[in-house]
Amino acid sequence: MFAKEVRSELRARVAVNAIGLFGLTTLVAVAYQIGPYQIHEQDRPHLLAALLWIILFFAALSGLQRVFVKEEDAHTAKTLRLAASPLAVWGGKLAFNVALLAALETFLVPLYCILMRMMVQGILPLIALLAVGCLAMAATATMVAAIIARAAGSGTLFAILAVPLMLPLLVMLIQGTRMAMTSPAWGDILPALQGVGALAGVTVVTSIYLFPVVWHD
Amino acid sequence: MIEKTTWSIWHWLLGAWMLVVVYGAFFYAPTAQGFVGESARIVFFHVPQAWVAVLAFCVNLWASLRYLARRDPLDDARAAAAARLGLVFCVLATLTGSLFAKVMWGEFWNWDPRQISIVILLLVYAAYFALREAVADEERRGGLAAAYAALAFVTMPFLVFVVPRIYFSLHPDTLINVRGEIDMDGRMLQVLLAALVGFTGVFIWLYTLEVRVARVLMARRRREENV
Repeated sequence: MFAKEVRSELRARVAVNAIGLFGLTTLVAVAYQIGPYQIHEQDRPHLLAALLWIILFFAALSGLQRVFVKEEDAHTAKTLRLAASPLAVWGGKLAFNVALLAALETFLVPLYCILMRMMVQGILPLIALLAVGCLAMAATATMVAAIIARAAGSGTLFAILAVPLMLPLLVMLIQGTRMAMTSPAWGDILPALQGVGALAGVTVVTSIYLFPVVWHD
Repeated sequence: MIEKTTWSIWHWLLGAWMLVVVYGAFFYAPTAQGFVGESARIVFFHVPQAWVAVLAFCVNLWASLRYLARRDPLDDARAAAAARLGLVFCVLATLTGSLFAKVMWGEFWNWDPRQISIVILLLVYAAYFALREAVADEERRGGLAAAYAALAFVTMPFLVFVVPRIYFSLHPDTLINVRGEIDMDGRMLQVLLAALVGFTGVFIWLYTLEVRVARVLMARRRREENV
């Protein structure tokens, strides 16, 4: 399933282009309007962490919803239901969304640090937070994408359903990034990391049970 | 007939109980220390409203899982009724919390983590109704809404317990705090517990009414389909 997703994406490159260009455009707009010098020193950790995750979050939203909608649009969903088990479909789509988000973070976070002069004290804790955050965001987005693919007006509905569900995650990620910027100690980032990890875990487990119901409904 | 009489007695008892709660909140419970004026008395209404909102979302989850297991349209109606009441009590808890914030800290809205959490909770369950509106087919609507309800429910502990503890909060300690102790005068605690019982009774009454209306509407639709 994952290989099929990658092959399909390499043919059209819709999600990669949407996520990459949205992220880059927003980053350029933020860097141009705010830049590294417009923020007071004491406000830097909080504002830079918040801006980073807002850019990542909305860039992710623009591309992650497509995984199931494209199957409905291309009328391939019925064939997929016959060809693969629900868990294989969900696992493949989740892995693809994780890969897409990881690629976005790999591309955007270093660029953001350079353009906004964001200094990170705890690089390893930040990488761990980005990895766990990537899984949590992709898991929620994949499940919501599966739900909205079966409803009318899926484009707008994805944002309506996914944004409130991801807000607690976003709050914890911003707090964790702020801590990683100011301290190299794992202990400071641990509460946020635990919260994000727990949310990722419960979302994955819930999705494993719920996806077959949504997929065959 | 017996059932109708029993219900009637329960409603009268509930009304009397709520009158006692209101009287106790204003005249029996003493003034709390460390709060501006009589502002702490709002706890007898604000905490039960928040509790009922959480209870309603638990009922929503229970009915949603039941729908997924049995595919009975009445379970879907139960889930929707619980979510609707949960939203109403969530709004009431937000409003009473804002009144308390105005008296204590001078502003209705302070961007406190608990205020933000409850607004996110409102958005999550408002989205539940947006999803319901977007699906025309009844059975599919029930299934998708139930799946979303389960997904929404797992985020609730993070909103209620985790996020407010990550940031500094102006909000007074919750009833059962991190020390596992109840810091409340005995008479205040009595009134608060009575209010919790009373508001739970109000929720059960409203929920039962909503489910009965849904049952009547379903029966009418079935009759129309058969004609």
